[in-house]
Amino acid sequence: MKIVTVRRISQIFFFVLFVWFCIVSTVGEKFWQIRAWPVNWFLQLDPLVAIGTILTTHTLYMPLLWALATVILTIVFGRFFCGWVCPFGSIHHFVGFLGNRRIKTAEKIRLNRYRKAQRVKYFILIVFLFMAAFPSIDATLQVGLLDPISLVSRSFNLLLLPIVDKSINFISVSARFYEGAWLILAVFFVAILLNFVIPRFYCRFICPLGALFAILGRFAIWRIGKNKSECINCKLCEQSCEGGCEPAGKIRISECVLCFNCRQDCPYDIISYQNKSSLDGEITNPDISRRGFVLSLVGGIVAVPAIRLSGKLAGNWYHGIIRPPGALPEEEFLKRCIKCGQCMRICPTNVIQPGGIDGGLENLWTPVLNNRIGSSGCQLNCVACGQVCPTSAIRPITLDEKKGVGEFAEVGPIKLGTAFIDRNRCLPWAMDKPCIVCEENCPVSPKAIYTQEIFETIREGILTISKVSGNVIEVQETIMPERFASGDYYCVLDGQRRKIKANTEDAIEISFDEDIEKIPAAGTKIEVQVRLQRPYIDIEKCIGCGVCEHECPVSGKKAIRVSAEGETRNSDRKLLLKS
Amino acid sequence: MEPNRYRAGHLESAISFCLLALLFILAVGVVVKQADYDMSRFGIYIEKTGAGEFSVMRVSAFVPAGFETLSRTEIYIPGNLYEKINGKAPLYIESGFEKLYTQRFVSKGNDSLWMELFVYDMANVKNAFSVYSVQKRADVELLPNMLFAYQTANSLYFVHGRFYIEIVGSAETPELYKAMTDIARKFISDVAIDKAMQIEELTLFPRENLVTGSSKLYLRSTFGFEGLNNTFVARYILDGHIITAFFSKRSDGQDAQKVAKNYYNFLIENGGRAKPIANEDLRRLQIKVVDFYGTTEFVFAIGPFVAGAHEAESQYSAERMAVMLINSLSKAVNND
Amino acid sequence: MTESNDKKIQRRQFLARVGKAGVSIAAAGFITCKLYDKQGPKAGVDIGSLVTLPDFSVPDKPGQVISIVKGASRVKAVNKAIELLGGIKRFINEGEAVAIKPNVAFASPPMLGATANPELVAEVVRLCYKAGARQVIVTDNPINDPSSCFKLSGIGKAASNAGAEVILPRPNLFKHTMLTRGKLIKNWPIFYGPFARADKLIGIAPIKHHHRAGASMSMKNWYGLLGGRRNIFHQDINTIIAELAMMVKPTLVILDATQVMMTNGPTGGSVKDLRWANTMIASCDMLAADAYGCTLLDLKVSDLPYLIKAQNAGAGTTDYESLKPIFATVS
Repeated sequence: MKIVTVRRISQIFFFVLFVWFCIVSTVGEKFWQIRAWPVNWFLQLDPLVAIGTILTTHTLYMPLLWALATVILTIVFGRFFCGWVCPFGSIHHFVGFLGNRRIKTAEKIRLNRYRKAQRVKYFILIVFLFMAAFPSIDATLQVGLLDPISLVSRSFNLLLLPIVDKSINFISVSARFYEGAWLILAVFFVAILLNFVIPRFYCRFICPLGALFAILGRFAIWRIGKNKSECINCKLCEQSCEGGCEPAGKIRISECVLCFNCRQDCPYDIISYQNKSSLDGEITNPDISRRGFVLSLVGGIVAVPAIRLSGKLAGNWYHGIIRPPGALPEEEFLKRCIKCGQCMRICPTNVIQPGGIDGGLENLWTPVLNNRIGSSGCQLNCVACGQVCPTSAIRPITLDEKKGVGEFAEVGPIKLGTAFIDRNRCLPWAMDKPCIVCEENCPVSPKAIYTQEIFETIREGILTISKVSGNVIEVQETIMPERFASGDYYCVLDGQRRKIKANTEDAIEISFDEDIEKIPAAGTKIEVQVRLQRPYIDIEKCIGCGVCEHECPVSGKKAIRVSAEGETRNSDRKLLLKS
Repeated sequence: MEPNRYRAGHLESAISFCLLALLFILAVGVVVKQADYDMSRFGIYIEKTGAGEFSVMRVSAFVPAGFETLSRTEIYIPGNLYEKINGKAPLYIESGFEKLYTQRFVSKGNDSLWMELFVYDMANVKNAFSVYSVQKRADVELLPNMLFAYQTANSLYFVHGRFYIEIVGSAETPELYKAMTDIARKFISDVAIDKAMQIEELTLFPRENLVTGSSKLYLRSTFGFEGLNNTFVARYILDGHIITAFFSKRSDGQDAQKVAKNYYNFLIENGGRAKPIANEDLRRLQIKVVDFYGTTEFVFAIGPFVAGAHEAESQYSAERMAVMLINSLSKAVNND
Repeated sequence: MTESNDKKIQRRQFLARVGKAGVSIAAAGFITCKLYDKQGPKAGVDIGSLVTLPDFSVPDKPGQVISIVKGASRVKAVNKAIELLGGIKRFINEGEAVAIKPNVAFASPPMLGATANPELVAEVVRLCYKAGARQVIVTDNPINDPSSCFKLSGIGKAASNAGAEVILPRPNLFKHTMLTRGKLIKNWPIFYGPFARADKLIGIAPIKHHHRAGASMSMKNWYGLLGGRRNIFHQDINTIIAELAMMVKPTLVILDATQVMMTNGPTGGSVKDLRWANTMIASCDMLAADAYGCTLLDLKVSDLPYLIKAQNAGAGTTDYESLKPIFATVS
């Protein structure tokens, strides 16, 4: 069996496995739901994630230990991950293949020659690594922007899957939404379409993980090379070369992705996978100039302080960033989040969304709650997001910790923020319309929303009596029939307030139990009042879950909105002194 | 040079097959890993209660054959129980209610056939029995193989350990009924309970003439009197008359005497008239007899028990009831 | 020949690569072991990185705990007050580093009495050097902008003229602390840097009426050590002042009652808010100092709940009489 065949099977295997992991990331017990599927395995195998978090946090989080296996295998065998495992790479490989099927061999060889621009991925890697390393106060993890596993995970989970599932509704009963998905689409499709320009464009020119593997694989014990000296330089080996490594001449080991196509295509059986150097010479080092290296280094070091000048991590912090329960304090969070979108994928209520840059550049594609989207704010009894975060940017908390019970009773529940009532928009506050939807839906016990009763005279609510008979008051004005029949309206007569049962065009019927002792004369004025329950927030109890915001009937700009003040994860945003 | 396209040699084939085997092992490993799952880490499914873990997932797992779950399992605590059962909530809350799990099931073949399962966690078997017994409808069919269970045309009610279960169906069809008994059977076999379901006090009721399944436990107040809490009540038919017997175990003899006296005073204050007792033995035991708007009430204390008869249609049957009770309770007192 | 040479070169290259690969793997393994984190990040700040303020107090000398000196000249009064307690050498040893924490809370001119008097601060600096201190630092974490506060209050210039180093607050001088017996100071940043290096700590504060707390004297002076968004503690002002007294153990506090701000504290604004009381208090027990000081504001101990709270927590005593205060007058 040819090695190329195995390589293809391996690519298909890992691609299918990856897509399967995306599909099963739903909370539930069925076979196609989360159970204990290791949905983060690809991210855990990814050494760029591991090294990035080592640089920012100076620890290696246990689940990322898988990356050590990848590193060791790469050191020994070369960039097998790129050619055999990476699902993003497999997509590029396939699209490149599709694009180049009808092209003449000579043109294919030309497309696959080594280009100097293949250095760019090293610069990208260096910039990311230095943003993560220096200085430790301002370090930030931005590898997730271009890391292929994060990128492809985002693209499938937040873009392709919801689009496909919209019509078949298999994964989710109702359509799922993800804000800013257009940008994820743009990046994904541009990356894919570039394969029609040059095959494996992303892998050769952009991928920082590939750059990392190239550096790690420099001393690979086994490598592609010529094992005979009779090469006639026909260059047929390069017609399907995936890495752009020029096996026809001095092979560039760091660019080789072990696709073995050259071995397949060589008509003279000159190329093999061997532990001796290629007979026509090799270039092991990545081709970066010192100038390029220094520029990237400086860029990486300066970038973060420059970004942070906006003060978004200091006094100018953006109140609209509400992070999932269990998220670390913001500075620590930004050192761990790889923007993979797993938390957004698994959230049962679809409330976790990819962030935009309104909270600062570093906020892009990090998880932010948007209570208007999805089925209901952050459900009280759910801690799914922390369970799937590969780097513990969202800690895997227990339900006890989230709700502040058991051993966490002293600390209290985790607050995501606090709800604030916009009295200018709230129906009972500003419009004299009864409504307590927010109070009814508040899930904590005792509720964090309480109401106070108040009676307000309605517009054109002063009516003139023409006649009173029994419990029916006839008035001179014309009123809309049944306008006061909802049980919220009262009429004030002689200083006494009585509930209105119903009304016709010209008469109001009050409740039977309340007799009118003294029949008023015609011409007496009565006031019609509406009973309002005006909501107040008890900020000691509010956990910022957003259910109230989700349910508020003022559906555009909600009359009650959660804001990040009071979130427990950042102690300097406390609203109250806790005693 | 001659074109000599390579053919995979032995070494290459061997390595290729090894790699394929490796892929296969990986696949198997992934499948094995996923089977060992613990849904509680996602939070939304598990609540721990006293008698070990009672997984909400198991509630939906009681789905009977031919049915499937309809909507999510709902969980209620004392603070929001009102939202589900409205005015009935105080009854449960005052009886030690801890948690309610509800789950709807719908027939796979017929949308209009569905039922809702209510599992009330009442913290202990006495509380569960109490809410079961005080809500028990009159003239219902007791289920033969279960201690505390009855059915109506469209519903099923029973007690299992600390849990009181109601299953209410949308229609009165045999299909639904069979599904309900399925659920009950599964519940009883799957849910472990701390001890045997016996409520010892119930054995203190004399066996003869007892109307089966009529025993109740009132936790808060009995016959309108709050001093009579934690009281067991059962119905008897003596000489063709219905009579209710009751007893309550107090902390000691002194307390029992006090409660008996208070109940007697309560009856008198509310319009009862004291009557003399004919029976000599009973008089010696200081039994109080009250004529209450035409029916006879007995109340006395024996040992740590307050006991008596309620709404007896004749004094004679009341006296008989009293004698039976005294016999039964004195045995219990002597055995202690 | 070339063949076997080639083979040799090949083998050497191979071995070199194996060696490099081995070293890389070993390095990767080593880094993994060292940095391996099984638990992942925890909520809140690591206990290991919390700091505690050192205890700056000197051994007790009964009868020489608190001195109260009457006189119109601050310089003379403070000298006398310290002399009565055993002289500056009792408190400062030769070669020690001394941190002085005056009240520099506002960018307010000295004559309004909202901040410590610059002459007084300079005199205390001078006294410390006289005792042989190797370094004297004058520092505070003001409410208004630090450099304006030190400048406009006159303290900055006075201190540096006397030879002290003025340290303004910077973010990296703040560290988190936790008061074990406290409710409020739990994992809160404090201005730590200058005090970590010091051997002795002297607090200098004027007596002022305070709208929220009732009075601002030697105990409230330590509010300047709190960092972060400390205005949140105004919601429970008495507890926080009591906890400050538990957290800070100074060598000596100097409570300047030469001019007392009777109303409109803590910022005052008019000379009319001030009254000449011509008193200087030096004390090793800041509760006693405040207890005496409040009388100059026409208040009683019971008017200041933080005093009792602090006393109950064992930070000192409000019964200054029992400490046998030494009274004196200077012309």
